[in-house]
Amino acid sequence: MPSPPARRADAALAATLAVIAAGLCIPIRFWPVHVCLICVVFAAQTIARIPLSAILHRLAEFLPFIVMLSLAGLSRGEWEPSVAILLQSVLSLMAAIWLAHVAKFDRILQTLRSWGLPAVGIALLDFMHRYLYVVSQELHRMRQAQAARSFGRVRIWSAWFSSAQLLGALLLRAFSRAERVHSAMCARGWDGQVRLLDEATGARD
Amino acid sequence: MHLSDGILTPAACAVTYVAAAGAVGYSFKKLNQSLTDRTIPFTGMTAALVFAGQMVNFPLPGLRVSGHLLGGVLATALLGPWGGCIAMTLVLFVQAALFADGGWMSLGANVLNMGVVGAWGGYAVYSVVRRALGGGFRGSVVGAVLASWVSVLAAAALFCVEFRWGHPGPEFSRLCALMISFHSLIGVGEALITGLIISTVAAQRPELLERATGASTVSVAGMGRLLTAGLVTALAVAAFLAPFASEHDDGLEAAIQQTGIEPPEGPEPVAPLPDYRFPLPAGGWDQAAVSLAGIVGTVTVFVLALALGFVPAFGAKPAVRNPHA
Repeated sequence: MPSPPARRADAALAATLAVIAAGLCIPIRFWPVHVCLICVVFAAQTIARIPLSAILHRLAEFLPFIVMLSLAGLSRGEWEPSVAILLQSVLSLMAAIWLAHVAKFDRILQTLRSWGLPAVGIALLDFMHRYLYVVSQELHRMRQAQAARSFGRVRIWSAWFSSAQLLGALLLRAFSRAERVHSAMCARGWDGQVRLLDEATGARD
Repeated sequence: MHLSDGILTPAACAVTYVAAAGAVGYSFKKLNQSLTDRTIPFTGMTAALVFAGQMVNFPLPGLRVSGHLLGGVLATALLGPWGGCIAMTLVLFVQAALFADGGWMSLGANVLNMGVVGAWGGYAVYSVVRRALGGGFRGSVVGAVLASWVSVLAAAALFCVEFRWGHPGPEFSRLCALMISFHSLIGVGEALITGLIISTVAAQRPELLERATGASTVSVAGMGRLLTAGLVTALAVAAFLAPFASEHDDGLEAAIQQTGIEPPEGPEPVAPLPDYRFPLPAGGWDQAAVSLAGIVGTVTVFVLALALGFVPAFGAKPAVRNPHA
């Protein structure tokens, strides 16, 4: 029996996928349906108190490419493919933004595990999610130090060169960290097998 | 590069999902065969690294936009094709789930374009060039540069094929030309970044790269190395440009069928040759643009690969082997 938050992530993931699939599958001649769905998703975003600026910022990143593809269809004089690309893209992007804000990542993993995804894949995602922020913070510190050394003004070639060297250094540090983490895992009895605790009973699988 | 939903048709999404699931499933199977207790920490950490690496912006000269690393070849150079493919899949999944970066329904297409093509295709080019150059610093860097450029171009080509499905029309050749032209330049950036990162790794921790490709290398002597690297690039370019020539012909044929080989309405310019009575579609120029972009890209990447591969390991300390490796 999944715990209530797990069930909520379950429902949120299923609802998002359903809305996106519906948006893609409903023909564009029923475009009012798409507009209604966008309104519903926007209402859900408002209820979830997602800042409007965050939504617009994310939309602005994707819109140029979408508009370019949409215009490629428009030049033939047919409006349907262009409007379809535009409306469906905005709808699915907004639904994905809502999901990313309301569902916690570990709950999504729990849901995917209950849907039957392989345990190794879930363990990998879990590990990646755990160290994502560690590596990102390390990168942030390294870039801050680099900017402090270079006074923030560099030529393009040296910016490329130093950024790539920074990434190389980050890679070496990340691999050293992976070696240390691996040693620590081995010291705690890690043998390559993923074992999980059952949340309800605290017992091992 | 990340596709959001709504760009591809549901049918294309479904087919790419099946293809990507098959490829990733096969990668999992191969990874499970060689599953050691190191697999999860190192694959997970590489995925986290590629994710973080994509956040570093590289400014483009004269433009206000900037590019970033994609990382398919980097992951595959560190983990091999199976681990690299899975690491890229993890990155794309987390980007979709955590940051709404790339659509849920297009995840299959994104995994196929960047993960599978980037890791498997990238590994094919990388390992061939690396072995031809006898491994080592030079082989790794030249291999990574060429593989990165080819994988970006291949991803763009694959996207065009996916997009065409459900959006047919003569405009397709124009879109392809645009995508291929852009991506032959984006690929140069990716090649440069990956080459610089790999050169840092190859200079300081070469065993990380040896582990992924295996220690066995076949050395080809002298000019043979150069020729092999050139040949691989030329073949790759030919392979990618040939389909576009035929796609263009399809567009032309479709246009001819639609118009019944009649001149279009409106004032018709005096044709210098009867053969060119049918107005040359914009695709004629597109084809030239594609070829030009391909040639410029190939030459640039080839020079880049040689320059990066043949300079001594700049500023590098002598290679320190990890005694615990």
